[in-house]
Amino acid sequence: MPINKITILPGINKFGRKENFEKIDIKKGEVIAIVGRTGAGKSQLLYDIERLAQKDTKSKREILVNNKTPNRELRFNPKRKLIASLAQSMNFLTDISVKDFLQLHLESRGKKARPGLLKEVIQEANKITGEAILPEMNLLNLSGGQSRALMVSDVANISVSPIILIDEIENAGIKKEQAIKILVEEEKIVLIVTHDPSLALNADKRIIIKDGGIVKILNTSLKEKGIAHYLNWIESYNLEIREKIRKGQEIKNIEIYCEPAKFKKEI
Amino acid sequence: MKFNSRLNTHTLTNQGSAEPKMRQKLIIFAGTPGSGKTSIIKYIIQELKNDFKLFFAKFDCLQTSDNERIAKEYKIPTVKKLAGELCPDHYTALEIPKIIRENQDKDIIILETAGLCLRCSPYIKEGLGINVLDITSGDPSRYGPILTQADVAAISKGDLISQAEREIFRAKVLKVNPKAKIVEINGLTGEGAIDIVEYIKASSCIKKDKKLTLKHSMPSALCGYCYGNKIIDEKEEQKRASAGKELKNLIPGLNCGKCGFKSCNEFIRAVLDGKAIKEQCPFIKQKVANKNN
Repeated sequence: MPINKITILPGINKFGRKENFEKIDIKKGEVIAIVGRTGAGKSQLLYDIERLAQKDTKSKREILVNNKTPNRELRFNPKRKLIASLAQSMNFLTDISVKDFLQLHLESRGKKARPGLLKEVIQEANKITGEAILPEMNLLNLSGGQSRALMVSDVANISVSPIILIDEIENAGIKKEQAIKILVEEEKIVLIVTHDPSLALNADKRIIIKDGGIVKILNTSLKEKGIAHYLNWIESYNLEIREKIRKGQEIKNIEIYCEPAKFKKEI
Repeated sequence: MKFNSRLNTHTLTNQGSAEPKMRQKLIIFAGTPGSGKTSIIKYIIQELKNDFKLFFAKFDCLQTSDNERIAKEYKIPTVKKLAGELCPDHYTALEIPKIIRENQDKDIIILETAGLCLRCSPYIKEGLGINVLDITSGDPSRYGPILTQADVAAISKGDLISQAEREIFRAKVLKVNPKAKIVEINGLTGEGAIDIVEYIKASSCIKKDKKLTLKHSMPSALCGYCYGNKIIDEKEEQKRASAGKELKNLIPGLNCGKCGFKSCNEFIRAVLDGKAIKEQCPFIKQKVANKNN
């Protein structure tokens, strides 16, 4: 089923007061950041969208798909599910090889693997983690970064869905930018819960949450997009220094590279 | 034998005094300890208590105070039932008629049991059976009737693992119980409670003049160890088993509690262990008296 937009209708906050907006439309191709303090209710909003809430969750919000109330089948059957989600948890529990795990997940979604797909999933995961994952590795022996990278690649390639929910990817110990690039394709609806300023400002809009309720919706201004670009810059520099430190190098001066112009400046 | 059958019929007659409900539901929650049964039941009680007269029975093995906490928090009548020396599911089945008899004025009876050995099935055909299943507790194919006979599989702790593993777990549950309705629950936040409430409301009612049936038979318990034998030895086991059976033939099997024990089996064990005398059972006492006259 093609998804053109989802709509959030207001519910109530922690104190039972109605949220102060008429409706929020999120259209195909938009990336939305969800921001707010820890415990403010950001993950609850993702949860409401994941289960296409019909005033039946704690927040009493209602979610419409293409302006209509989604049916039950759409909400609960994973074979019909519209939504892939990447939660904060980073543990695997099944005692199984990486390859068999991916195969099993495909089957549980009612799909057949085309030749080479599983290999591609692992290759893609390896783009975002420093330590390579091998198909024969046991899921339980993966490091935190490897687990998370595999989950990202699984969401992008196996749980292929028109709506993608991401919860705090920045704390995962993986190449964040790469991960987002893999997840955020065009023509999808993406919601990201984040504390990371560059991720938040790279989104098209941001929803601000306080005391369990949505209090504000901001469109990212042109100026903010510029600032986001600058932050990305600092970020990549940060990563570069991190790599140097990991390799045992000494850091002598601050060097900032401006990638697009290949311009190097010493401060 | 004639003596026995007369008494058995007697127990099945309805002794309740309050006006029996025409539409009463019996909801059984079963699941391993720590799976989150009590937590989700609290949210369910919260949702139901304004519209229905509820009763909550907590079955556990050795110790619990959950029923008191629920009684205090939600102001509904509750009871605690400790299986002690008995298999918790056998004990539950023994107690269900009493609970129904004493709560004829309630709309919904919620019963929580720790179906411990996974082989047991505490569910009844006439009520709704809900298995609370901890997603971190391993492969669902290892579970027996506690899962395969459940009407609803409520999967808890899904927030601890990835969506991929959640979906695999769900597929595995459906493989062992294709008819199960699956609900993902979170005992901390109450997520999923509303779905279970829907299933409870839609479930069928028990009929007051019809006997309840277990969905699946209990594991058999016939050996000397069931009668309290502790010595690992074939002869000792057989000796205890036949002594137990002999005593069992003397008593009516009413579990009336007049001997001071919860059940006849527990009484038999106590007698065989030398901790009680068989005349503590009023029926044996009567028999002995009759013989002497």
